[in-house]
Amino acid sequence: MATLELMSISKSFGSAKVLHDISLAIRDKEFVVFVGPSGCGKSTLLRIIAGLEEATSGQIMIGGEDVSTAHPVDRGISMVFQSYALYPHLSVYENIAFPLRVQKMEKAELDTRVQQAASILQLTDKLQLKPGQLSGGQRQRVAIGRSIVRNPKVFLFDEPLSNLDAALRGDMRVELSQLHRSLDATMVYVTHDQVEAMTMADRIVVLNGGHVEQFGTPMELYHHPRTKFVASFIGQPNMNLIPATVSAADATGVKVTLTGGHEMVLPVEGGRVAKGDKVEVGIRPEHVQIGDGGFPISVNVLERLGGVSITYGTLGDGVRFCASLPGDAAVEEGQPLALTVSPEDCHVFDASGDVLRRMSAPAIAANG
Amino acid sequence: MTEISQALPSGSAMPRTKTLSEAVFAWLLIGPAMLFIAVIVAWPLAETIRLSFMDAGLGGEEYVGLANYQELVESRKFHQTIIRTFYWMFLSVALKLVLGLIGATLLNAAVPGRGLFRVLVMPPWIIPMAIGMFGWLWLYNGYFGILSGTLMTLGITDGPFEFLAYKQSAFYSAVVADVWVGTPMVTLFFLAAMQGVSRDLYEAAWVDGAGRWYRFRRITIPQIMPVIVSMSLLSAIFTFNSFEIIWILTEGGPRGATTTLIVDTYKTAISNFKFGEGSARAVIIVILLGIFALLYLNVLKFVNRKYGTK
Repeated sequence: MATLELMSISKSFGSAKVLHDISLAIRDKEFVVFVGPSGCGKSTLLRIIAGLEEATSGQIMIGGEDVSTAHPVDRGISMVFQSYALYPHLSVYENIAFPLRVQKMEKAELDTRVQQAASILQLTDKLQLKPGQLSGGQRQRVAIGRSIVRNPKVFLFDEPLSNLDAALRGDMRVELSQLHRSLDATMVYVTHDQVEAMTMADRIVVLNGGHVEQFGTPMELYHHPRTKFVASFIGQPNMNLIPATVSAADATGVKVTLTGGHEMVLPVEGGRVAKGDKVEVGIRPEHVQIGDGGFPISVNVLERLGGVSITYGTLGDGVRFCASLPGDAAVEEGQPLALTVSPEDCHVFDASGDVLRRMSAPAIAANG
Repeated sequence: MTEISQALPSGSAMPRTKTLSEAVFAWLLIGPAMLFIAVIVAWPLAETIRLSFMDAGLGGEEYVGLANYQELVESRKFHQTIIRTFYWMFLSVALKLVLGLIGATLLNAAVPGRGLFRVLVMPPWIIPMAIGMFGWLWLYNGYFGILSGTLMTLGITDGPFEFLAYKQSAFYSAVVADVWVGTPMVTLFFLAAMQGVSRDLYEAAWVDGAGRWYRFRRITIPQIMPVIVSMSLLSAIFTFNSFEIIWILTEGGPRGATTTLIVDTYKTAISNFKFGEGSARAVIIVILLGIFALLYLNVLKFVNRKYGTK
């Protein structure tokens, strides 16, 4: 097992630059998730690590060794593809054994390794079947089995769960997390699903437009998003962003007027902004409560999920606002509603989308 | 269902009418095709079988029972024709498959201008067969042909060599021309099959360290195996029945060296007006190809089991 370092990786396809100077240091045995919207370059970055694409510039180190120009098999990586990439004409056994057959491994050892992988992945009674006879989840496990048998230094996963239905995805998330613990391996996982990122990752890399927006633990990203993009990407439902104007600011706080006229004093490092600046106040739907003295919204749509009531409304002059309220909250569609939020829970983003750091946040954010 | 039939005791007439009209409609749809098949397949086939029991010529017909078949069974020349036909078929099909596989692999490779190469494969297939064969007649010509000329220039032969004038060279020259005509179709089918193989499979194998040849052997070939098998059956039938190529190049000569069953049948029935004997040959061709196709279908079943997804 090994560390994985990316140093100033850039990638262009013709004149289109898809990755801009990306540097990351992934620790030994760490589970790192690359997350971002479609086209952010996350899969390209993974393929560069795998050796399926060549970086235009930059260096890749695995276990302290420069593998930038090495053949994939010499990098000590193995990869699980989104489509599983199972050989349809081969049995499960032969699929798992494929990398070992390529290496011309001795028969007895090959069999031991395949059986071992099969028992870890509960595929022992499926070894003689062909991939076409398996369910989606089982196919995914075969693909993982094929990557396990080689004992790679780094496992790479390219959106491995995106072809599965929601329930199975949940199960497989748990299985993958357990697998990570039992293999004690360095894993890099690509997804566009922030729930997968939050639930499985030791640390998350949020990518946007070929840039790293932020690299940190899930709770760090949740409580201290460095940019507006990260703030709105992490968390479900998405963070509300309300336009506001600064009416006073100093190093310990900012006084803002939200669109619609409600005033708040927020404990963030306000040195960078001045009176009259336009900012956006970020409020997570789960941080608001019903209560007097807050800001009013008019409720448009109400989704009662049982445990929570997701309430969609508008604030002031038409800014959309979402609140995650208790399941039995006294809310009705078409009615006005007064909401309050603790100033400590608010985020403030300047005009360029960068955050003004919050003075206080839950301790969990600091140590992940 | 019970509830409905109880609720609608008098409604049974409706579905009945509907079924009848559906049947009529179905017959209307398949009728023209049935008529077509009856006129151009079934009737000629029946007529051929009937004629095969006749001594039929321009003068008239006389029933001779199995005499035509008996004559063929006892004829050494006919045995040789059967052997020659199968040799012709296996050799030509094998060459087409090998060349098609090589061609498709090259055309599938990521080389610049491969679109142009793909188009350049087509002419032998597109050019009318007769025109193509006249081209080959010129190539094989001893006095004006480029092949003979090249052999002389290189000093391999010391005089003009007429490719189609000698038994051995005529047979293999005809095979070459047949391969030239038949390879493009095989190539394009193989290419289409290869393009259907998921790129991920190759990438996965590449990451696992599989080299080019290993990937070809363990991914490409098994993945396109069903196409290889069905294509070889099609190609075998085409080649078995290949007539124009041989007829234009050699008319089955010299001294019968390129006479395959189909050429023999034509010569007997059409050139010599022996309709009865010709028909007996045609019936034997149908039987041989039938047996061959049955064997092949079993091979296909086996291949699908071995290389299929289930």
